[in-house]
Amino acid sequence: MLPRFSSLKAKTKKEAVTALAEGEEVTLVAGGTDLLVRMKRGESHHHLIDITSIEELQGVVAEGSRIRIGAATTHSRVSTDPLIRESARSLGEAASGIGSPQIRNMGTIGGNLANASPCAESIAPLLVHDALLTIESAEGERVEALAQFITAPYRTTLTGREMLSLIRIERLEGYREGYRRVAKRAAWAVSRLGIAWAIKEAEDRFLDVRLAVGSCTPRPFRPRSAEALLNGRRREKWLVEEAVKLCLEEIRQISGERPSFIYKLPVIRDLLRTILGGG
Amino acid sequence: MKNVTFTLNGKVVTSAVEDHELLLDALRERFALKSVKEACSIGECGACTVLIDDEPHYSCLTLATKVEGHDVKTLEYLGDIDRLHPLQESFIRHGAVQCGYCTPGMLLVAYSLLCKNRNPTEDQIREALSGNLCRCTGYIQIVEAIKDAAPVFQSEG
Repeated sequence: MLPRFSSLKAKTKKEAVTALAEGEEVTLVAGGTDLLVRMKRGESHHHLIDITSIEELQGVVAEGSRIRIGAATTHSRVSTDPLIRESARSLGEAASGIGSPQIRNMGTIGGNLANASPCAESIAPLLVHDALLTIESAEGERVEALAQFITAPYRTTLTGREMLSLIRIERLEGYREGYRRVAKRAAWAVSRLGIAWAIKEAEDRFLDVRLAVGSCTPRPFRPRSAEALLNGRRREKWLVEEAVKLCLEEIRQISGERPSFIYKLPVIRDLLRTILGGG
Repeated sequence: MKNVTFTLNGKVVTSAVEDHELLLDALRERFALKSVKEACSIGECGACTVLIDDEPHYSCLTLATKVEGHDVKTLEYLGDIDRLHPLQESFIRHGAVQCGYCTPGMLLVAYSLLCKNRNPTEDQIREALSGNLCRCTGYIQIVEAIKDAAPVFQSEG
């Protein structure tokens, strides 16, 4: 049972942002797999707007060198979409590991971002694809990079009057790409660590290396210094070791020493060595 | 209260539901479909699984208003005590039912899988079941029961 609240099933984006602008204490709900659990535990929300029936918030479409993903697109759809499998493989792989089949049929990519858990699976691959978010309100819209959107664990720049409506990512062609997560079990487990990568190489030379680490620091991040060191250089063991070292240093700088680092850092080191192909 | 019209086990139905009412409670209390079980209540165990547009969903985390215009199936769609679905018979034959609490969810997930994939591998069966917990049988009998029932779906064309 849930505490009492009023709910509205919005049919259009306009209807949703108008309700956000005019109402007091209005909360958007998409899949409900996080919000309703929190409400059952006592969190109170008085007015819910269900945005999953809004056609404009659904689906995956190509747009030139980018892919548009509607914020209310489910993880199931993201993980099986042919366009994402072809040009954003890390995102498809990450989405296919979220929760359980039922959770993936219900939960949405926009909900995953707005909830902004440090271990949200979709964040790291979206950082690799330089995701841009469209955020709408009754006054208009703004576009923000995902890296700026999440400000702290479970905190974003969304105000109570705004709705995340669209995620646009870069199509990466000619990259080897993937997502690896470490969790207590293969299924139904929150990841303890996740690494997304997309790497473009030619003749053993790194042309464009994109890495993102999730479930480790308060916000998933791109180890930019390691990426910069690798780009343009020939793949050699010393170089990979140096890049791994820079990445681990950056994690320590962000988080300080954490008890979990005893196992997390060696796992990241080994995953990065494998991903970068240096041993 | 809001009126919700949807297809329930093949028939179009309309019911008034509360804004904050869960699909789980609406199905059990308004439609007397007691196969829909509540266990963990937080979307982790799968006992409350129902099919929405033929895909498994947790009814304990779904608002009743959400199914407006959609197709909902519960275990009652598969068969009843006098006329069990071959999948249900297979569960009995394999001893895949002990306390029975997880069984409706397991059957619906299996039904949904076999409708889409008539010849699933063991890995695909296990993946499909990964959102449903059983604390009695240890899954082996359930997996075997599903494998054994697959030919029925193949012969249905």
